[in-house]
Amino acid sequence: MSSPDVAPEPETGPEGVSLQAPEPTGPSARRVLFVVGSGRSGTSTMSGTLQTLGMHVPQPEVAADDTNPKGFGEPQWVVDFHDELLRRVNVQVSDARPSAWFETGKLSTAEQLRTRLHTWLEEQFEAGGDELVIKDPRLAWFLGLWRSAALRAGASCSHVTMLRPVTEVVGSKQKYYAKRFGEVNRVAAWVNMMLHTERSTRGNQRAFVRYDDMLTDWTVPVHDMGERFDLHAVRSATARDIRKVHQFIDPSLRRVRLTWDDVPVPAHLRTIADDAWQALDALADPGGDTPERHVELDQIRQAYTEAYEEAEAMSQSTAIAAQRAGAAAERSRLEGGGDRGGPAPAPEGVRLSDRVPHNVRALVPPSARRRLRQALGRPR
Amino acid sequence: MTAVLGAVGDSAANREGETDYDIVWPWSRPQVPGTGIVLRVKDEARSMPWVLPPLLRAGQQVVLVDNGSTDGTAQVARDVAERSGHADRLTITEYPFRVSRCGPEHLGTPADSVHSLVWFYSWSFAHVSTTYSVKWDGDMVLTQEGEELLRELAWRLPGREAVLYVPRHSLYVESDRVAYLDLGLFNAEPFGYPMSPSYPHVKAFEWELRIHPEGVDHVKLPEGTCLELKYLDSDEFAHWTDADAFATSARTQRKRREYQLFTDLAEGRWEAHGVAAGGGIHRIEVPTGSDAHVVDHVTEVWLPRAERPLVDPALRRLTAQDRAKQRRGATASAASVSSPGAGA
Repeated sequence: MSSPDVAPEPETGPEGVSLQAPEPTGPSARRVLFVVGSGRSGTSTMSGTLQTLGMHVPQPEVAADDTNPKGFGEPQWVVDFHDELLRRVNVQVSDARPSAWFETGKLSTAEQLRTRLHTWLEEQFEAGGDELVIKDPRLAWFLGLWRSAALRAGASCSHVTMLRPVTEVVGSKQKYYAKRFGEVNRVAAWVNMMLHTERSTRGNQRAFVRYDDMLTDWTVPVHDMGERFDLHAVRSATARDIRKVHQFIDPSLRRVRLTWDDVPVPAHLRTIADDAWQALDALADPGGDTPERHVELDQIRQAYTEAYEEAEAMSQSTAIAAQRAGAAAERSRLEGGGDRGGPAPAPEGVRLSDRVPHNVRALVPPSARRRLRQALGRPR
Repeated sequence: MTAVLGAVGDSAANREGETDYDIVWPWSRPQVPGTGIVLRVKDEARSMPWVLPPLLRAGQQVVLVDNGSTDGTAQVARDVAERSGHADRLTITEYPFRVSRCGPEHLGTPADSVHSLVWFYSWSFAHVSTTYSVKWDGDMVLTQEGEELLRELAWRLPGREAVLYVPRHSLYVESDRVAYLDLGLFNAEPFGYPMSPSYPHVKAFEWELRIHPEGVDHVKLPEGTCLELKYLDSDEFAHWTDADAFATSARTQRKRREYQLFTDLAEGRWEAHGVAAGGGIHRIEVPTGSDAHVVDHVTEVWLPRAERPLVDPALRRLTAQDRAKQRRGATASAASVSSPGAGA
């Protein structure tokens, strides 16, 4: 795990120029701990553990179900908020596009959203005390927005990223979730999520915890987080609290143990995913969160971005065909053809083309765009 | 479009034959994904402790170009970077030529002269090794919230065809304990651009501009994330030909307002511009019992607690971004130019 950022010592420079701004007013007791990482990586286990020890998970929570019988540890408000934002920018929860990080990042600068989030955070501190746990698989897309809202609430932020081998995550999803995505896309989305989550938390107070370590002996990583992040709930946990965590964590939850033999993907993607896992896994070692590791992760992230862009260019015909099919369905709908099994209509005020990512739209030749506009009767 | 620097070739030569200050365009060599921040400074030593640390934490590279400072700006910057633990991200270089002041002097200077703002900017940005770049002034201070947002955007923007707008609020510093914050104006200008030949610096009437292709994306930091320090005991308008130089056009409206405010505040006439008088100026004094400098007090305490919106909508003027939108709407097919004001 990494060391927390160390504040530099004040000093006076040449000609009496102060080199260090004075310390801010006394530290706040408010803490927000963000639990991030790919879904099915133990994020619910971590969130539930901290909740059991006394940190506050804003209520109401998403209800437990067969896929997660111990509960998700996810505030319903947070899930709804993120869903709304993802819809606005046409990004999926598990989205493999590197460019999706820019789309979601743009929302982080919206003052109205920050005010809304700040107001909600203030309510949660009022209702649940000074230490909040926020967990949602969508959270990493919007960490900048959350951190700036937390700053306004006078809270310090820390992050814990849960780590689990991609084959187990993908296999896990394959087992428990609807088979909506192919394995290749799920592996790509995992790479995109994990590498960019690491980038987004870099430079902040953070920890990386392997799901396996959590199930083997949760006391070690949780105690370490409590000390480094100065979490009162962990530092003051009673024997009763600790007993309850032991009752909460059920090692048999780790029901899926899969390897690449069970998850066939192209060799190039498998290499990138393996490299990403090795580098991320090393971050969880004591002293493993180093600048050299960051350089390595940047290189893997760049390799993934280039591979994705190559795949996009290669599948340009598919994108154009999908857009044409969508346009045809839209034209049919506008002409009163009703539902012929095509894509769902765009929400009010949203053009069909707006639902196609900008970089995909940009792949459509101008002549094809003109023909599409003519077919739809649109001036532009 | 007229011929612009950087449009063709890997390098450009200046008309004076100063070969050491020719420009080798950064896109002619390998670029690193990330964001580089460029400051051109002259006598900004006392602002460096507030300006530099957030930038060093947010960006992958900070290029500081010293243009004839006499107050040890470069050394202070070096020391601040060392203290912040990010000295490896700071590149310091020197530009020895006298650069034409904004206004008529600039207008009379050819773009390929080493004395031109256009050349100075182009040469300065040629030191950027990243794929995205942000212009910054030596008196612009990020709040914690601003740093947080810029740090996120610094890795999300590279690779995207997008322009970053940065809003600034002027903070007129009277002493270590007292300052005047101007929330009577919302002023957001384009500061961030991809590092490619599609985004060159060009000459405009009063100063330089950086232009961009039609239809690029944009993102804007929210208000309350960046201050522009103005010390009431300094000559803050020395980079202008003279006061008459910005009394000539609608493009210099903000400068005229700043000059009037600066003059009145320096002479103790702040109440005429105060909130009670409908002027948007807040007099801020560090509370008794706090040792904080007023700049820290404003960025760390006053602004985070201030009610939003910070700027009364009735006092807003169109942002540069809004004007660009209007212009695109009016002349959809014309090449777009980023709004005036960027260089002031």
